[in-house]
Amino acid sequence: MSRVFVTGIGIISAVGSTLRENRSALAAGKSGISFAATLSSRYAGILPCGSISTSTDQWREQFGIDDPGITRTTLLALHAFSDAIADAGLAETSLRDPRVALVGATTVGGMCLTDELYRDTTRSCQGSPYLSSYDCASVHLYLQSRYGMTGLATTINTACSSSANAIQYGARLIRNGLARTAIVGGTDSLAKFTINGFHALQILSSEPCRPFDRDRSGLNLGEGAAFLVLEGEESRPTKTIYAELTGYCNTNDAFHPSALSLAGDGPCLAMQGALQSAGLNPSQIDFINTHGTATENNDEAEARAMLRVFAKLPPFASTKSYTGHTLGAAGAIEAVYSILSIRHQELYASLNFAEPIPDIGVRPVQAYRQHNVRHVMSNSFGFGGNCTSLIFSNVN
Amino acid sequence: METTQLKEQLKRQIIEFLNLTDTTPESIQDDKPLFGDEGLGLDSIDSLELIVLLNREYGIVIKDLKEGRKVLVDVNTMVDYIEKHRTK
Amino acid sequence: MLYIHHTSCINPQKEPDSPPVPVNNQLKAVEPGYEGIPGNVLRRMSKSVRMGVGAALPLLKYGPDGILIGTGYGGMEDSVRFLNQIVAYDEGLLTPGTFVQSTANAIASQLGLLHHNRGYNITYVSRGLSFESALLDAAMLVKEHPGKSWLVAGVDEISDHHYRFECAEGWYKGGVVAGEGAAAFLVNDRPAGALGRISKIVLIGGEDEAVLRSALTGILDGQTPGLLLSGENGGSGENGGSGGNGGMDDSREGKWYRIVESLMGPDADIVRFKTICGEYPTASAFALWLACNLPAALQDHRHILFYNNYKFTQHSLMLLERLL
Repeated sequence: MSRVFVTGIGIISAVGSTLRENRSALAAGKSGISFAATLSSRYAGILPCGSISTSTDQWREQFGIDDPGITRTTLLALHAFSDAIADAGLAETSLRDPRVALVGATTVGGMCLTDELYRDTTRSCQGSPYLSSYDCASVHLYLQSRYGMTGLATTINTACSSSANAIQYGARLIRNGLARTAIVGGTDSLAKFTINGFHALQILSSEPCRPFDRDRSGLNLGEGAAFLVLEGEESRPTKTIYAELTGYCNTNDAFHPSALSLAGDGPCLAMQGALQSAGLNPSQIDFINTHGTATENNDEAEARAMLRVFAKLPPFASTKSYTGHTLGAAGAIEAVYSILSIRHQELYASLNFAEPIPDIGVRPVQAYRQHNVRHVMSNSFGFGGNCTSLIFSNVN
Repeated sequence: METTQLKEQLKRQIIEFLNLTDTTPESIQDDKPLFGDEGLGLDSIDSLELIVLLNREYGIVIKDLKEGRKVLVDVNTMVDYIEKHRTK
Repeated sequence: MLYIHHTSCINPQKEPDSPPVPVNNQLKAVEPGYEGIPGNVLRRMSKSVRMGVGAALPLLKYGPDGILIGTGYGGMEDSVRFLNQIVAYDEGLLTPGTFVQSTANAIASQLGLLHHNRGYNITYVSRGLSFESALLDAAMLVKEHPGKSWLVAGVDEISDHHYRFECAEGWYKGGVVAGEGAAAFLVNDRPAGALGRISKIVLIGGEDEAVLRSALTGILDGQTPGLLLSGENGGSGENGGSGGNGGMDDSREGKWYRIVESLMGPDADIVRFKTICGEYPTASAFALWLACNLPAALQDHRHILFYNNYKFTQHSLMLLERLL
């Protein structure tokens, strides 16, 4: 089966609206998590989030969009998508080729329009511009329509592993001859709906998150989007290739609807499966971009799972300490950060770490450094036990 | 309200709140563990829901799950806590 | 090549060979007793999770290596329930169970939990192509992992809120009836004992006639299947309409079906499956179940073409050969 290469990247997050800005922040150890009150919610300004200061209206103006039903979630996707195709040197007209697939991911979709949804459900609506925007598919359907795409298009929702799954699905479309190019990624915006859902589960922290730290107290939500252009060997372009997607594995922890087994069974199987699919030994992984949400449950389970897979644990970090947990976008954003590590041969610090988890004792990377990076593993573990692990490799 | 009455009320509320359609108040013994296979078989999501129930029905604030674990053992411990801390 | 070995379905039909009658323009599914789902688990489930799990449960005993679900709006009703709490309690202390149940991957997750299934697990939320996306993924898995089996299902419930939205947008006119259901399949690469073989799955977006014609010509490849399972609406709704020519907007929906029908042979039978299951994003899953469980009068048909159009811009084509 064909090899799969990453030839274009577009990303927007709390630490930057371009790839360059994101990398600068990571290298400088500068977090984008703040108490900025950008959301209309009683928790705005109280719970720290990885929010983006650009308003939804500003993006509408930038992209020339009048339709109020095009949500913030979609606008974030559009931002990253348009950057990705430009970065890959793809003319917009070339997206109409039926061999170009679009695989998106989101958990919020149009639910970011929480107040509008409430209004529309409680009155007999005569018609509202938002009705066809609330679901997850509305994002990729907008992109498909805007760019006149005629190839395969779909959206995945497996909670926090959604866009990692979009990446592996797009890669497999190429390897199975069902697409020549796959534009894959995910998006999620901060929403009153999501903040309240996570708050009800008591897994939000009232301070900037501390992945893998003994005193971690939960996650910070974030918003953002990232898209990657994947191409197979046949259409291997002459422009620069960022990295190769060499391994992937999707498993299910099958323990609890919203928590991982403490031994990290699902994560362990996902990491082992990814290694096997890449034909790599654990010792060949130079860095792990962990899921690392800073919840009590995830970090313990993930740490235990890493120790089961790796006899010698490679350097690892959680970049959620910069962006917050971007849910449906997390897999794609962190895939981009994994690729940045390869491209620039460097490791990023996991912020806000002081003391390791007792009885486990693992310590993430605590300061930026240059490093020989050939293979990076990126983990995404979600509600419903959905675990996906990806491996990116240097082609140089 | 007398303790016995409160226990009966709480059992009905637990059944309704958690939608335990197969359970009757009579089948919940006062000292039957709420969690675990030997007891009522509730899980961690139920414990969060019971914290909400205590807040909505009795005005009680339980800050987090660690505190909740000490209260949410069985009907006896819950009623004991309600009697001491209720504001409604 | 995808071989279907087992099927299971929850749908609105009360009696075989007798199309169900809509009530208030809706065809609600006839739900079983769900004895296989522990009460402790069943109590939390939304209708779509209940139906999805209920339909898939009988197939879990065949030990699938992974679970793939397609749902257009799964979780919407629970999302609104949670939303109502947000407003009623002004973002105060809220119950998390509804939020967790509102997530689209709740069906696949619950099946994984009930079966202790640690294999591949994924959920597609692509509106009218959700089930087809899952089926396409299964077709790839079958090639990538020879010898393994996969459980694939399409599930959607009639969400009252969503129904009102769609009425407001003008979808339910001229005989279009809202439906719901769950259909599940166990698929693998083994011909022996299979009910049917899916040889083609095509997903199309947009409204370009040439694209559909080209796809049809490509998949038919000179064949003329004897039966068309058509997703055309109309004919059983309260607003009347004769079979086949009702529809939301006759010219905009009907024309696609006329294109497909024109490429079938003159003696081809056409079954409009939405007269049984109603209209919903994953109705094509019901169509596939129907093809594997045809009434006696249609059982001589060996080659079946499926065409479904969802809200004009999403099209799917499938080719099935019945083997038993």
